[in-house]
Amino acid sequence: MDCQLDIFFLEAILNGVLLAGLLALLALGLNLVFGVIDVVWICYAELVMIGMYAIFYAYTGGVPFPLAALLGILAVAATGALLHWVVIRPVLDQPPINQLLVTGGVLFFLQAVATMAFGIEFRSLGIRLGSTGFADMTFAWSRILAFVVALAGMLALWIFLSRTFLGTAIRAIAQDRQIMPLMGVDASRIYLVTSAVGGGLAGLGAVLMVLQYDIYPQIGLQFGPLIFMICVLGGLGSMAGGFVAAFLISQFIAVGGSCMATEWGYAVAFLFFMVAIFIRPQGLFGVRG
Amino acid sequence: MKHLLTACMAGLAAMLVAAPAAADIKVGVIYDLTGAFAGGGSKAGSIGNKIAIDMINERGGVAGHKIVPFYADAQSKTDVAINEAERLLNDTKVDVVMGLFSSAQCVPISAKVDAAKKFMWLNICVATAVMKDKNLQYVFRAQVHSDQYGEASCQFVFDHAKAKFGKEAKDIKVAVIYEDGPYGSGIASTNEQKCKQLGLQLVHKEGYAATSGDLSALVTKLRRAQPDVILHTGYNPDITLFLRQAKESGLKWGALIGHGAGFAQIDKLYETFKGDVDYLYNVDPVAAQLLDAKTLAPGMGDLTAEMVKRYKAETGGSEVPTHASSGFNQAWIFFADVLPRAIKSHGGFDPEALRKAALETDIPVGGTIQGYGVKFYGPGTPLSGQSERSTPAIMQYVKGETKVVAPAAIKTADPVLPLPKGHAYAR
Repeated sequence: MDCQLDIFFLEAILNGVLLAGLLALLALGLNLVFGVIDVVWICYAELVMIGMYAIFYAYTGGVPFPLAALLGILAVAATGALLHWVVIRPVLDQPPINQLLVTGGVLFFLQAVATMAFGIEFRSLGIRLGSTGFADMTFAWSRILAFVVALAGMLALWIFLSRTFLGTAIRAIAQDRQIMPLMGVDASRIYLVTSAVGGGLAGLGAVLMVLQYDIYPQIGLQFGPLIFMICVLGGLGSMAGGFVAAFLISQFIAVGGSCMATEWGYAVAFLFFMVAIFIRPQGLFGVRG
Repeated sequence: MKHLLTACMAGLAAMLVAAPAAADIKVGVIYDLTGAFAGGGSKAGSIGNKIAIDMINERGGVAGHKIVPFYADAQSKTDVAINEAERLLNDTKVDVVMGLFSSAQCVPISAKVDAAKKFMWLNICVATAVMKDKNLQYVFRAQVHSDQYGEASCQFVFDHAKAKFGKEAKDIKVAVIYEDGPYGSGIASTNEQKCKQLGLQLVHKEGYAATSGDLSALVTKLRRAQPDVILHTGYNPDITLFLRQAKESGLKWGALIGHGAGFAQIDKLYETFKGDVDYLYNVDPVAAQLLDAKTLAPGMGDLTAEMVKRYKAETGGSEVPTHASSGFNQAWIFFADVLPRAIKSHGGFDPEALRKAALETDIPVGGTIQGYGVKFYGPGTPLSGQSERSTPAIMQYVKGETKVVAPAAIKTADPVLPLPKGHAYAR
């Protein structure tokens, strides 16, 4: 353990904050789907991967980046809706373990399809946004942009859920899946919309990640377990919980990695997760039962 | 007389028909054809390996025996690689297992295969830990091993400290960063040992998971340590993540020396980083096409040309990475040298015959397409089964071209050191 409380330590903390924005956005989509439909999309990070490929091929095909990004978001939103219609809907009444295994199967299916369709090469858009700095600290614009857009995306989702009729219906279904259909709410439609919105958030995550990471079929493995851990820590289905958990975990990774070896940062984050779950099995913001 | 002649001919014909055809030699070939290692060089190695088998079969096989390959995909996962090796040995009943890219896979599989007294020929994985102090009897590796990588890069820095950096060796600050599997850890350990032994100043040493999604903490620590030289061992995507975050965070250095794997995929690095990867170094067995054929044994140049031609045809690409040479070269050494001797001098191709033939291998330096010779350390020695004649080269990428800058015997250019002013990572 070697924590040097200098300007580089502060840089590590701020880098953790920037990473948290992206992770919070990714956790948000997964939590939204779980909170409303009560199904965990284990394959969520693979949807992000699909979005990254969509953006890559659109951009390298000559589409300007903003439009390619929009296409990527729409593509993943459509994939999310398709995932619900084809895979989730038939198992909605099945035990949770069946639902989990089905989405787990989709994870491997998407990885295999991506490998066959896109190949094993690492792809990159080649867009470099540069960096900015102050007081001997340097931060990548791609990370700052990701943080700002992630926060904006979360704000937009909050406005959608709290200020629109459809959003209100989604929240209502999330609160009581049995009663709301009896009151005339079309649950199937709400589920489909929620899946599309959840997919759209994965697509937004893809837009932000494609500026920072190479694209390859297994990139979901880099983030999938982390996103899932954040959701569970925050309380599955709790969007506020996911947000807080993302910042906590990111700081453990960044500061832990700064004071100790990088790999210890992840180890400490997972240790914290285990201890927290022992104390609050329902997660930080989850409701027991 | 006429009847006798007819009878003789009929008898001869019957004998020819009845004579058993030479048995096929079944070879299990394991590489990562999918997953992160595939694009990191494993696929290229498998293509090189396949080209060697195709060429051997086109020449009539080995002593009349056709080589029948059984290709398996380890999917960049150690457990899958172990299962595939067991399936090939126990179900398919292959005579030889060869290939393997990842040292993390080579360590457990070589131990298992050796314990079962089956024969294994390692093509690409380099960790010294695969062989060291294991006293393996049936596992052989003609390839360079990681201790040699780690020693070569430190020696290179030491040799050029005064002339290029204008500093005494003790004033050169070196950082060692590595993926924390057997491959990265093995090379990093030798880096630390050798650099310290040479009096270089080791200012930072740190491992990380190759699947890590964020290396910013590592980059920050390197900014604090301000090394002149960074010795890096990694796969992909960790190398690209490091280079990207290093640039965005303003990390500067005098030289970045990579050790194979992801650093050997220069065309992929160029796609992402363009000129930013100019002057990058890579320690690795040399890609055969970079060598002057006149310095090699007769026929090696033609062999390389054929391999390169077929590789380009197979992939449609213009670059032939080192891993393609390694996959081809090791397979060729086995099929063209070891296997014929096993059949001719030791009565077949069972594990015992192959082991004896391998131990008799004596290819002088210059006798393979990658320049090094082959002679294996014998049983009871610390590196039993490892070739003692393998040597890595140090290459530098200069404006899209690969130059060999060490060892002196095969170098094609002087190293550019430290990075020229104006370079993205230059101080």
